[in-house]
Amino acid sequence: MKNWIQVFSVIDFISVGILLTAIAMNALKRIESCIKDYTFNSLLLSLLIAIVAFMVEETHLYIASIVTLLSKGLLIPMFLRKIVRQMKVTHDAEPYISNALSLTISGILVAVVYASLKEGIFVTGFSKNVLQISIAVILIGLFIMITRRKAVTQVIGLLFMENGLFLAGFSLTFGMPTIIELGVLFDMLMGVIILGIFAVQIKRYFASADLDKLTILKG
Amino acid sequence: MEYFQFLIIIIFSPLINGIIKKIKATMQGRRGPGILQPYYDLIRLFKKDMVISSVTSWIFKATPYIVFTATITASMIVPVITTKASLGMMGDVIALIYIFALGRFFMALAGLDAGTAFGGEGSSREMTVAILVEPIMMLSIFTAAISAGSTNIARIAQIQGIFYSPSHILALFAFIVAIIAETGRIPVDNPDTHLELTMIHEGMLLEYSGPYLALMEWAHYMKQMLLFTIAVDIFFPLGISNNTEFSGIAISFSAYILKMLFIAFLTAFVESTRAKMRFFQMPSLLGWAFVLALLSLLTYIMMGK
Repeated sequence: MKNWIQVFSVIDFISVGILLTAIAMNALKRIESCIKDYTFNSLLLSLLIAIVAFMVEETHLYIASIVTLLSKGLLIPMFLRKIVRQMKVTHDAEPYISNALSLTISGILVAVVYASLKEGIFVTGFSKNVLQISIAVILIGLFIMITRRKAVTQVIGLLFMENGLFLAGFSLTFGMPTIIELGVLFDMLMGVIILGIFAVQIKRYFASADLDKLTILKG
Repeated sequence: MEYFQFLIIIIFSPLINGIIKKIKATMQGRRGPGILQPYYDLIRLFKKDMVISSVTSWIFKATPYIVFTATITASMIVPVITTKASLGMMGDVIALIYIFALGRFFMALAGLDAGTAFGGEGSSREMTVAILVEPIMMLSIFTAAISAGSTNIARIAQIQGIFYSPSHILALFAFIVAIIAETGRIPVDNPDTHLELTMIHEGMLLEYSGPYLALMEWAHYMKQMLLFTIAVDIFFPLGISNNTEFSGIAISFSAYILKMLFIAFLTAFVESTRAKMRFFQMPSLLGWAFVLALLSLLTYIMMGK
């Protein structure tokens, strides 16, 4: 009955989808669509966990999936949207490097990860490819944080990194104990709220959320 | 039989264009011209006289023939309804792409030859797009070629089964974008307009008239259908016949018609729902497609399927 997961390579498709949504972040300019992209990434992550839970019949993985869905797929995007509305920014400023170049660089990042982790030496999880993809997502999240100018898009880069870390931990250990996962998610939520408030404050004091302008000390 | 299958492409390629135009018109709430209109246009152009600028060289006169024959040669390599293509043993995907490149090269030269501003503009744009599109096409075809263990299109068509892997889907999307750019359709180029600021393909043909224009237009229709056929061969070869018996061919031919209609519908849908991009935004779209193609190859290498 669970044969179809193998036959249609469902896990591979979903993990490639997670990678694609992370890369798509590089090409998106509107902050609204960045948030949508992040939501989609989180939904795919939650779906992946649910399918693995269905495959190995572990109850606590279902809980992890639902918690991921609620926090990353629902709460964090809602909060981010609220911040964006408060700050009245719709577009990211022109990034440091062009779209096509940043897309290509993230493609190269993926190639580097694949090449250096080609032999999945320490992987005994449900699929030998998910670890590579998760590390690629972490690197792409970092890259987004480096190249973007606005505070909100940098926060989204951080969130992508967190999704990648979550996926990496999940692919190695079949999910950590529920209490740890809950703790991490709670930290994440707090982090996003603090960063959000911080971004709003930056906007209020400096009349811009562009982090390039934060070079002068104000007493 | 296998020696005549390229005639399908030569004969039916204007029809495909007519069908796309009709579907597009229906989607936009117009009546639109009949699906045979491209044939009437071609016949009419063949009957007309030509005006050739006195400053042009032999390149201008040779180009329509070179483009037309290059496209026919390319269509002989591609399996249409049976995997035994007429020149299948002589060329593979790489040869095919460079036969296209030959035609494009002469087209760009002819655009420059007459010395008009719009011709040069069209040539310059066409070559810019070509530089970006060629690697996308190569990489996405290579994904399929590696899994088939051969760059021969007929061989790739035989190997591909019903089940798809992520790498194939990624390659398919990259290839669709490459086809859109290569056939000069929205969002890359608008095939229905002669607005000088936006045209790419029409810019190069602006100086042509009469039978030469007909040859160039026909070659363009053929190239479009050929690219659709390659996409079908590589990514949805289901139903294509491996031999030349009548029953197999009949099934294969009807499957081919259905696939072509589906692609025509898809093209019309994309054209009706998208707006044309500014030319300088195009590297972003094509960069996306390039990353997709690269990822498909990487994913194939990593996952082994």
